[in-house]
Amino acid sequence: MVSSTIDHMVATVVFLGALLLFVGLFNQTIQTAILYQRHRYIATKCSDLLDNILLNPGYPLDWGTSNCTPTGFGIQDPEFTQYKLSPFSLMRLRSSTGELVYYPKTDSYYSNITMGYGFLLVPLTEAINYSAAARLLGINGTYGFQLTITPIITVSIKELQPKNPLILSVNVTGMGFPLANAAVSYCFLTVGEGGGGGPYPSYTMEYGTDFADETGSVLLNFPSVKTDVSYVLIVYAHLSGLVGVGYYEHATYEDNYVVPFIDNLEERRVLIAHSYDVHGGDSPAEIAYNASFVLLTEDFTLREMPMENSTGKVGKINYGEGKPYKNITIPTYNPGILIISYRKSAQETGVVLMPWGISAMAFPVTFGDDPFGREWVATDIRQVIVNNIAYQAKLALWSLQGYGVIG
Amino acid sequence: MMRTIEIFMVIIIITAAFIISSLFAVLPSPRQVSPLNLRRLALTTLQTLDVDHDLSETVFNESDNLAWGQLQIALSACLPPNIVYNLTAYEVSSASGTELYTSIKSISNAESLGIASDAGSYLVASSNVTFDVTPEKIGEHGGGGTLYVLNCSDANGWWITGYTAQSLAQDLYSLLSPYFQTTIMVQNTTQLGQMLDGTPLQNETLQNAVVINTFGEAVPIPSNYADTYNRDSYAEYCYQLGKKVHQYNWTWVSIVGYPLYYVSNTGYFTGPNDHNTWGIYGMKRVEPGGFNSFLRGLDDQTYSYNGGWITGSPGVVYLSSEALYYCNYYGIYPAPYHTATRALPSGITSIYNLNVTTYIFNPVGNWIAGAVYRHDDSGALLALGLTRTPDIRLTALGLLSDYKPRLYASEYTASGTSRLVILQLGQVGGV
Repeated sequence: MVSSTIDHMVATVVFLGALLLFVGLFNQTIQTAILYQRHRYIATKCSDLLDNILLNPGYPLDWGTSNCTPTGFGIQDPEFTQYKLSPFSLMRLRSSTGELVYYPKTDSYYSNITMGYGFLLVPLTEAINYSAAARLLGINGTYGFQLTITPIITVSIKELQPKNPLILSVNVTGMGFPLANAAVSYCFLTVGEGGGGGPYPSYTMEYGTDFADETGSVLLNFPSVKTDVSYVLIVYAHLSGLVGVGYYEHATYEDNYVVPFIDNLEERRVLIAHSYDVHGGDSPAEIAYNASFVLLTEDFTLREMPMENSTGKVGKINYGEGKPYKNITIPTYNPGILIISYRKSAQETGVVLMPWGISAMAFPVTFGDDPFGREWVATDIRQVIVNNIAYQAKLALWSLQGYGVIG
Repeated sequence: MMRTIEIFMVIIIITAAFIISSLFAVLPSPRQVSPLNLRRLALTTLQTLDVDHDLSETVFNESDNLAWGQLQIALSACLPPNIVYNLTAYEVSSASGTELYTSIKSISNAESLGIASDAGSYLVASSNVTFDVTPEKIGEHGGGGTLYVLNCSDANGWWITGYTAQSLAQDLYSLLSPYFQTTIMVQNTTQLGQMLDGTPLQNETLQNAVVINTFGEAVPIPSNYADTYNRDSYAEYCYQLGKKVHQYNWTWVSIVGYPLYYVSNTGYFTGPNDHNTWGIYGMKRVEPGGFNSFLRGLDDQTYSYNGGWITGSPGVVYLSSEALYYCNYYGIYPAPYHTATRALPSGITSIYNLNVTTYIFNPVGNWIAGAVYRHDDSGALLALGLTRTPDIRLTALGLLSDYKPRLYASEYTASGTSRLVILQLGQVGGV
């Protein structure tokens, strides 16, 4: 009798223990399956959301080239169909990588997509922030995202010999392969020495084309450069439909320079500020500047678009109180590059660039929240065109609603 | 003891059940759970490569052409390193209603695309081929289909500054004749009188025609009509025009300014005072009474003179959404906004039993700068109350927006003109 009772008790305990163990094991499997299901859903959502952003120009259609706040979010170029993006809508996205820049003379902060001496500073009041975009996309509080638009072709330029002649090495690569035999067209701007432009810096522009070798490299010689001068080289490389942009600049004087801020997109107005007022520095001094604007033409060559003096193309800028910034008006809504040469004296010169539309200098854009540390991030990519420049758009998406699973 | 053994047997059975169910419950790999959309990536890659029609040119090259090598370099350069591809171009040929796809060239960077791949397809057209668009003819499925363009050599125009009526007529002929069954240039006021009398000029259908007055604010007047209908500074002639529009169910088109403000016939008005007071001879001022009389004629009312000015100046006016849509459909692109100083009041619709069937410009308050007004019974008026000088593309756009003739594109898959490119992508590495 006692042994039977013990037998029953042992059997019951073992059975209950085994049952609990198996419930736990099955539960584990079910939980994993549910998580996989949710991850799959996020991946599908990611693909849909990416298409939604890229195949829709937003509302109003021209929000990229106006100062208005869109009521529908999308970055497709309103003049085209398919995956062609507006270089100006992209410019209005608040960069999540660059640090904000404060300019005391306008008492405003600027979204910063600056790369090297290629400035792109958009007033925060005109930049679309992440939460607004999430709200317009209908995912506020449910999903977080980061949208990255990166140029497919990288054109890197290195100075091999500084003068007599100046030799620059241009290297063109894609995402997984060098762009062998690519056609290379360039615009070479040198800032004149000796004050040939009167009180303002003079400049000369030289255009040319060449071809890359099997490794995607080409050497460009400029025999006209016999002394150390300030210059900028802008290169467009293209092969079989793929177009990429690169630039390189060299300044003989960098203590003081001009900083262009976009002031009003609708009126195409750019502020010319003194670097000391923005970044500080040593030995502040007055500098004179002379601006020009170049466009990429349909035959992949760069051409200067003349600017009237009335647009504010030349001027002098100083630092501190009582020395106001200057204005310049971009002559067109076609994407291009604003090239501003500056000088303190005949030998102390430099040059800065500002893309008008992000594609003109193949600037990348990172917009949205940081996916680092998120539990599951789904990504999807598309190849897109921004004013004929090949880019890759990548969306990272994650859930903000947690992953707790009750099994 | 027996119970314990039974329990252990139960545990063995449950364990077996768990193992067996686990074998069937195979969870997908992370790549399958959260895959790249390779189909979309393939399509967008092909679109990127064709941005300047480079892909279209390449696939029509011979298979040993260097361009194929460049295409392979570009493909390798634009795809991420972990993506393998196979691009195949097919010749599209059609025979007896079926399409045949023949592979002509394939390029790849891997022997196999793995177990999971996806593909995008892209149809390209040869740059040597022009695809025709054939418009539907107005009146093809009903009466009418005649377009009269007033090109009278014996009349002068007003408010067509910078143009002559004849040059405008020529441009309108080029723009609109493909959409009409018959287009007739009315060469003089005698021919105008003939058609007003109901006699066809070239055996065309008179009924339901469209008559475009290219003379701006002036209208040509035949001599016999000038003799007969000259009351109230020829406002009676304008009334007769309205009657004829009503009688023949015409659509009368005024391309600019105040309609029917002057009448012109250089062979009839030859006196020293026969000018429009602005130095243009062969012309007489009718003033607003002309258009008011026309509207009475259009409404089939009895003639009575009303010299009251009825137009207004709403200023800048914008093309309506309907007009903007048809800009793209017909490929006519006038400026999207204009200045209106002779816009018609919306009140004329109730007074003269008119319905606005097409707005060319968005109305501003009660002012309609450009629209097609159809009478309840018969006849219509297209009036563009813009300031000079005229843009005849607006006239063409207004007419086409109202009649809406369809455009038939030629077949895209015509033999030898199209090739299909399929890009198949696969992922390598990782799980």
